[in-house]
Amino acid sequence: MPHSEKKNNLTIKYLLGVGVVLFLGYHSVYFKKLDEVKNVANKKFDAAAYAQKFFTSTLTPQLANASGIQELIQLLTISKDQAFEKYAHATAVGSIKYFLVKGTGTITAINEDEVNLQVGNQSLTLATEFIYGNAIRDATGLFDITTFTNTTDINNVSAELNKIVKNKVIPPFRAKDKVGDNVVFTGVMELNSARLNLDNIEVIPVSIQ
Amino acid sequence: MQTTIDSQKKLLSKLQPLIALFVLCMVIGLLSDKFFTVSNFWNVLRQISVNICISTGMTLVVLMAGIDLSVGSVLALSGAVTAGLYKSGIEFPTQNLFVGFTLLGGILAGIVVGGLLGFFNGVAITRFKVPPFVATLAMLTVARGLTMLWTQGFPISGLGKDFAFLGTGWFLGVPVPVWISALVVVLAILLSNKTKIGRYIYAIGGNENAARLSGININRVKVIVYTLAGVLAAVGGLMVTSRLDSAQPNAGTGYELDSIAAVVIGGTSLSGGKGSIGGTVLGAIIIGVLNNGLVLLNVSPFWQQVVKGLVILIAVVIDKANTKNH
Repeated sequence: MPHSEKKNNLTIKYLLGVGVVLFLGYHSVYFKKLDEVKNVANKKFDAAAYAQKFFTSTLTPQLANASGIQELIQLLTISKDQAFEKYAHATAVGSIKYFLVKGTGTITAINEDEVNLQVGNQSLTLATEFIYGNAIRDATGLFDITTFTNTTDINNVSAELNKIVKNKVIPPFRAKDKVGDNVVFTGVMELNSARLNLDNIEVIPVSIQ
Repeated sequence: MQTTIDSQKKLLSKLQPLIALFVLCMVIGLLSDKFFTVSNFWNVLRQISVNICISTGMTLVVLMAGIDLSVGSVLALSGAVTAGLYKSGIEFPTQNLFVGFTLLGGILAGIVVGGLLGFFNGVAITRFKVPPFVATLAMLTVARGLTMLWTQGFPISGLGKDFAFLGTGWFLGVPVPVWISALVVVLAILLSNKTKIGRYIYAIGGNENAARLSGININRVKVIVYTLAGVLAAVGGLMVTSRLDSAQPNAGTGYELDSIAAVVIGGTSLSGGKGSIGGTVLGAIIIGVLNNGLVLLNVSPFWQQVVKGLVILIAVVIDKANTKNH
């Protein structure tokens, strides 16, 4: 191959390379003013507002439909599958499911992070300090995950609902709870259908008197 | 007569991974009725796609008698860079400038990062004469640390449906990761069998001094191959990140071992010069089927590690025996 032809081929190669890089670069990045982007970001999904609306308009009206905890535990003992089929909800796939439950019990012990209750023959724990997970969001089965476009927003709703319970539901109860008091509660609990353990039931209260 | 026996022995040695896979499938199929199902078939293929990508790069490295321990960390950093740039872009507050990345931009950035890390591995090995084991071990730590710095130790989640398509989508009835890994394999086979650099790789692994004396630019080939291994680890990182819809700072931990296992089980000699991409694909399938079978049979994760370790050991012993016989 003559020297000049070789040189031409090389030039074409370089030009093609530069063309590809420019094409990819043009379709890879875009530039905006930072303050414009921040303004849009600030208008993004407000998990706190969504959670407050969900708590007031969706969860609270459903409290009246909660399952009696003693009846539910009885059903779980007799027919676990039926109990999960009928009363459990979850947005995620897996064996962990959530139940909306209600009951009346007597306080048997008050600890730093929890309150122990005796409900009929069943002893259980009311969580009062570590409120985490997706139980409050998922227990009604009315949380519509399909309206969300990303998992961060979905998780943030849980976090905000947990905050509402921790900051608004629990403090008035903890201010005057005493051993021996009778309490009427509605709350949510998490159970694992693959490893069902009814000896250590923990309920996160959503309403408690 | 002796020639016939030798050629039969050679054929048997080539077919060993295939026979092992067949036996493994039969045993698991007999013990679990869920194994031979269509959904499990796609599940296994989807799961091994990442390992096939990484192992393809690892095969090229091992064929040159090298090793790359950094692929798991490179995978994590590439995935994190892609996720971070695609989701949040880069802010320049003093210039009031925001540089956003499209999906293509994020993907390219992750691949470039993978390639750069591989390039540094190659440079450390060729220019500074650091043994591959040490150079890539150092990169393993550096890349993991950079991933932690980039992510601040938190997952980068919520990447959207378009990005999720790479790891969870279907195209023509086949999962997208399977298409990607198939494309990678085809390109790697073409590279190793039909190009000059492919022949150089085998030559370097067979006898580095002879290759040097025959005029091959060994350093250049090595740098290219380690860069390619980084790029393929980055492709794996994209698939993992997309599948999880999240870039996890600890993603890819231990992937280098699965990858080396696939290469060794697939018949590639750790001393270089002998092996094939096709064999590695078989090795990755064996590892994937083994993982899947152990899960279906409810074997404890601790025992799974033991079984996998033993399988690798057996593969190496067989490889040594074959090398001795030939």
